[in-house]
Amino acid sequence: MNEQATALPGTSPAPLLELLNPREQTWTVLIVLALGLVLGSLEMWILGWPLWGATVTVLALLLVPGVLKWRTDLRRYGLTLMVLSVLLVAQGFHGFEHVAQWFQFHVLRWSPRQSGGLVSPANAEWIHFVWNWTVLLAVIFVMRGGMRNVWAWLLLIWATAHTLEHTYLFVRYLQVLQELREIGITNIGGQGLPGIIGRDGWLVRSAWTHGTIFARLPGLTTAIRLDVHFWWNVGETTLLFLAAHTFLRTRLGGRAASRDE
Amino acid sequence: MMNLPRIHTLLKGLTLLGCAFIVGCGGAAPTPTPLSASGLAATIVSSPLTAPTSPCANTFVAHQLDHTTTIQGETVHLYDSNGSGLAINDFDNDGKPDVVLANLNGPNTLLWNLGHLNFRTERLSDNPARAVNAVDVDGDGWQDLVFTHDTTPPTYWRNTGDGRFTQGTLPEITAPAYTMNWADLNGDGALDVVLATYDDGLKQVPGFDWNKMISLVGVNYYERKGEGFTRQQLAKGAQALAIAFPDLDADGHPDVLVGNDFERPDEAWRYTDTGWALIEPFATKMTQNTMSFDVGDVNNDGQPEIFAADMKPYQTDVKTMSTWLPLMDTLNARHPPQAKAQIVENVLQVRGADGRYTNEGYARSVDATGWSWSSKFGDLDNDGFLDIYVVNGMMTEELLGHLPNNELVEENQAMRNKGNGYFAPAPEWGLGSRASGRGMSLADLDSDGDLDIIINNLRSPAQLFENQLCGGSGLEVDLFWPAGGNTRALGAQLILRTSAGGTYYRDVRAASGYLSGDPARIHFGFPANATLQKLEIRWPDGQTSILESPTPQTLVTITR
Repeated sequence: MNEQATALPGTSPAPLLELLNPREQTWTVLIVLALGLVLGSLEMWILGWPLWGATVTVLALLLVPGVLKWRTDLRRYGLTLMVLSVLLVAQGFHGFEHVAQWFQFHVLRWSPRQSGGLVSPANAEWIHFVWNWTVLLAVIFVMRGGMRNVWAWLLLIWATAHTLEHTYLFVRYLQVLQELREIGITNIGGQGLPGIIGRDGWLVRSAWTHGTIFARLPGLTTAIRLDVHFWWNVGETTLLFLAAHTFLRTRLGGRAASRDE
Repeated sequence: MMNLPRIHTLLKGLTLLGCAFIVGCGGAAPTPTPLSASGLAATIVSSPLTAPTSPCANTFVAHQLDHTTTIQGETVHLYDSNGSGLAINDFDNDGKPDVVLANLNGPNTLLWNLGHLNFRTERLSDNPARAVNAVDVDGDGWQDLVFTHDTTPPTYWRNTGDGRFTQGTLPEITAPAYTMNWADLNGDGALDVVLATYDDGLKQVPGFDWNKMISLVGVNYYERKGEGFTRQQLAKGAQALAIAFPDLDADGHPDVLVGNDFERPDEAWRYTDTGWALIEPFATKMTQNTMSFDVGDVNNDGQPEIFAADMKPYQTDVKTMSTWLPLMDTLNARHPPQAKAQIVENVLQVRGADGRYTNEGYARSVDATGWSWSSKFGDLDNDGFLDIYVVNGMMTEELLGHLPNNELVEENQAMRNKGNGYFAPAPEWGLGSRASGRGMSLADLDSDGDLDIIINNLRSPAQLFENQLCGGSGLEVDLFWPAGGNTRALGAQLILRTSAGGTYYRDVRAASGYLSGDPARIHFGFPANATLQKLEIRWPDGQTSILESPTPQTLVTITR
């Protein structure tokens, strides 16, 4: 990997903001965001699209300045930091998705079924399965590229566990889907079932733990799925930002020292 | 101070022991009165329970009964799918509990207990019948029968005492009812009744004039006044499947708790000087689809808990979830849960120090028993701790069209109280019937000191599960109070103290669970090596009696 290319240009005290700054794409982002919000609203109110459809429209539009920014990042900082930049933005949005779900359920008091966030109603199982594997692979990639600190290792453990949880959920989802097809049910998705941890999850319902103190483990066996995944993502996003901040600060220090010489 | 003889031992064999009995004056918070205190005389008869006719097999043994609840036509629709109840009590005062099973389309069935689990069948046409309670309505010392019929007022079958029942109506009770429960709710010594409707079901009945009946539906409290009843409408609507009378505010008086199906919340009232007042005793969520209630002390601390059953699969494997998902989808669309107040699973409401109840059902692993109907506490294994039995299953074209015969086939769930606050499934007890159970009650039908079970299944023969579990011992208590209108002391509380520790709490009630009448005879189970120290009886009028050192494996009959 080209060390010169991965060093940050400058001595910013907030290297995360430095990396995430859209710079020359700032106005494009703002204009596209405004356009997307108008278009999305029209889709919902006039065409009757669901919220996730409107959200996808906004995201698709934002992808244009995003790609341009990340292409610039690639040229300026190299592949590892470009991937990290993408990861930070995407995981940030994903975390926001779970905040939205949490807000819908706990503040707006929607039912768990209604509290699907912004895009998850499309297909929560597919989205989360693909997303978590992508995040895990991306984390491994940036760690191989140099982001190796204590936060990064914790992030790797956390992301691996989170991905295993979603893999379990996804396999069960496909199995349930298959069962439903076999009995002629095609209009029900089978999403939202409990996973390994959380309320009614494998950890509390297995033959070994049923009827034991396991049913009282705060959060681990008591939190509903929406809360479980809110906290999964709070943890993942926090660790990612801490790991990235530490990593970028080190890189910045290396760049500054190199310049002093 | 009266010089009353103290009872230390009870005679063995079928022996009549005439004795003085100790009754202390109670109050709002009655306390046991010492033996030397003044009191009312009572008679105690103690007789040994019979030895089991067959050796214990460590399981229940299923017997088929001569009754099948049927529906009109071939296809089961909502709300025929809700089936019917049953009641157990001693109708001929021969000391053996008899059984009556309600029916939707065919005749009801009386099963006269001839002993040793032999029954003589008699039919009783009065259909369609939902709930049935066996209570002494007229206070003549014979258990009468009352059936509910959804759209019409309950019918009253008066026990003439010669093995016959004559059909009539309850004076001045004109409201239709789905479910009911009886007790002396205002403390005047006479039996009152609470009736409640199931409005969604009523609206589906062809020809039912909802507008005409709107002032009568909902929850009605009928207070006994002389020969008749006076009505007070507690709620103008109801989806009531269960009614219980726990003492929710611990003031020594029974309160009214009505369990509603769907999004209508369960409601509770307490009796005050100015009438019934709504209360909110539950600090945490209640069942959304409240199918049944029972009240019992699961941890032997002398403070009863409340169990309410709902619908939640007891397994989470792929096949079970695939079966449940379509119906959950339909139900959620029709009746979205009130997320902050209701939960779609069984709850075990435990009273806290602040007097409010919190749900411990999930924490104690009793939250999921399938599409549950009648659920009851009972010390099935005579170990001193109340277990829970729940019957389940569903059949209806409207919700289960994706399943063979439109039927959700489930195994009834027995949950053994482990004695440490947790419950565990007990499939080894052999109670996992796959018939579609609705009404269910527990009683010692063969008088051998353990609880047997009767289930009124929908579209398959009713079942008797003979208890042949090994170990433990029993004590049974019959209370008689012939002087007033509450001849079987409904509402009385019994507390047994043993050398095994803890206090075993029971109460006499007319009904619990779903549509199902309970026997007036109380059963206690305890470890075989335990010594019985003291039986305390708190009569419905607040007076207290204490019986020292009752003998295990006896039936104690106390007549006040």
